[in-house]
Amino acid sequence: MRGIEFFRNVSIGQYWPGTSYVHRLTPATKYLWLLALMVSGIASSSYAGALVPLAVAIAVGASARVPPGFLLRGIKPLVPLLAFTAVLQAVFPWPGDSSAPLFSLGPLAFTAGKARAVLMMFVRTLSLMTLVGLFTSVTSEGESVHGIEDLLAPIERLGRSAARSAHRLALAVGIALRFVPIIVGELESIAKAQASRGADFGSGRGGPIAKARAYLPLFVPVTVRALERAELLAEAMEARGYTGEGRTRLASYPKQRGEGLARWAAPAACAASFLLDYVSRNR
Amino acid sequence: MEAKSNVRKIVVTGVLGALSIALFLTPIGYIPWLAGASLTVMHVPAIIGAVLEGPVVGIVVGGIFGVTALIKAATAPQGPIDVFFVNPLISVLPRLLVGLAAWAVYRAFRGMLPAVAAVAAGIAGSLTNSVFVLGALVAFAAIPTAVAAAVFVANGLIEAALAAVLTFGVVAAWKGIESRTGKAKLAEEK
Repeated sequence: MRGIEFFRNVSIGQYWPGTSYVHRLTPATKYLWLLALMVSGIASSSYAGALVPLAVAIAVGASARVPPGFLLRGIKPLVPLLAFTAVLQAVFPWPGDSSAPLFSLGPLAFTAGKARAVLMMFVRTLSLMTLVGLFTSVTSEGESVHGIEDLLAPIERLGRSAARSAHRLALAVGIALRFVPIIVGELESIAKAQASRGADFGSGRGGPIAKARAYLPLFVPVTVRALERAELLAEAMEARGYTGEGRTRLASYPKQRGEGLARWAAPAACAASFLLDYVSRNR
Repeated sequence: MEAKSNVRKIVVTGVLGALSIALFLTPIGYIPWLAGASLTVMHVPAIIGAVLEGPVVGIVVGGIFGVTALIKAATAPQGPIDVFFVNPLISVLPRLLVGLAAWAVYRAFRGMLPAVAAVAAGIAGSLTNSVFVLGALVAFAAIPTAVAAAVFVANGLIEAALAAVLTFGVVAAWKGIESRTGKAKLAEEK
């Protein structure tokens, strides 16, 4: 059970505080850029196309004064991964791979096709990693929750039920983030309670089957107590008249100068990267 | 009536999402297994959400879990396979389908014993997770097909059994509590 306490104050992502233009953009704009570049990073099948999110993330990161080293710290774990993947792909044959072998060792062959796939995977992963890293470093937790609602704001025009759905989704995500420390505390206390009754978690003794069996008396009470908390919270919200309609928010995000342009630039960047991808494939 | 059940659904979604994140961030979510790759039960809250509150809750809980995995992979990857999950087609999409599959199977079996339905939903949700995550990993050339098949046999089937047991345990305990107290808490809800 060591290590549980450590995670109580854990946060997802790493915010890099700042007051730059990029930091001050509304969360919805940041989400638009994240989604646009994610699409172009995943869908492109050329190196140039897959590198677009990386290049944009580093450039935008520089203007937000997020050090490139902070964004690229994921490279280190990626390199052994690349080697690991290359070995795996070399050992297992690909049916229908007719590309020229780069080198072979008995029945094992590392072909050009495999090399391209592995390198492409590496580039794509690095690119997406840097992109998400940039997003979390310029967007605080609260902003990312409110941003979901703002991003869905256009569908609110479709009608009241659509508007309610956007509110609900954002509220559910907000509740989830608020409850993580409570649930971790719950896991900790129930794990300790069961351990004091002789259950065996994480001490290294016992086989996997025993570990899996030890799971039921931990998972079930934690989940049931979480559901009880949910009931209480729902009741409390209803008692205070919450209906999900006409709700206002304490935090507001004023649009920066050029915000509209920055928003339209996101789909434009996505289109440009597809064009680049197309050109570099048909060169 | 409708507003009430909606508040409840939102809150249950949030709390189960939190449980999913908590399992994901603490060592408790990983059970060491023979194959080296840990067994995981982090997708079980999505299955439970789908069984107790319907498909939308299951899908959103799965989505919260998937996005957490994506962010974690990008900011603090732990193992070699972790980093692939920055691709939302690997980390998010399969987890959205978990809730949907669990709900569909639960609905199909609901006429029979509730216990059977809960077990079937657990198995279906967990297998959906394994199949689509491994399938997406293969599609993006992260791991070869043979390795994916081996992981599926070594981990996927055991995870499905574990998910079935946990889903059944929670659903039985929760429904039992509801009937014992005469459903005092939010009486309109089934």
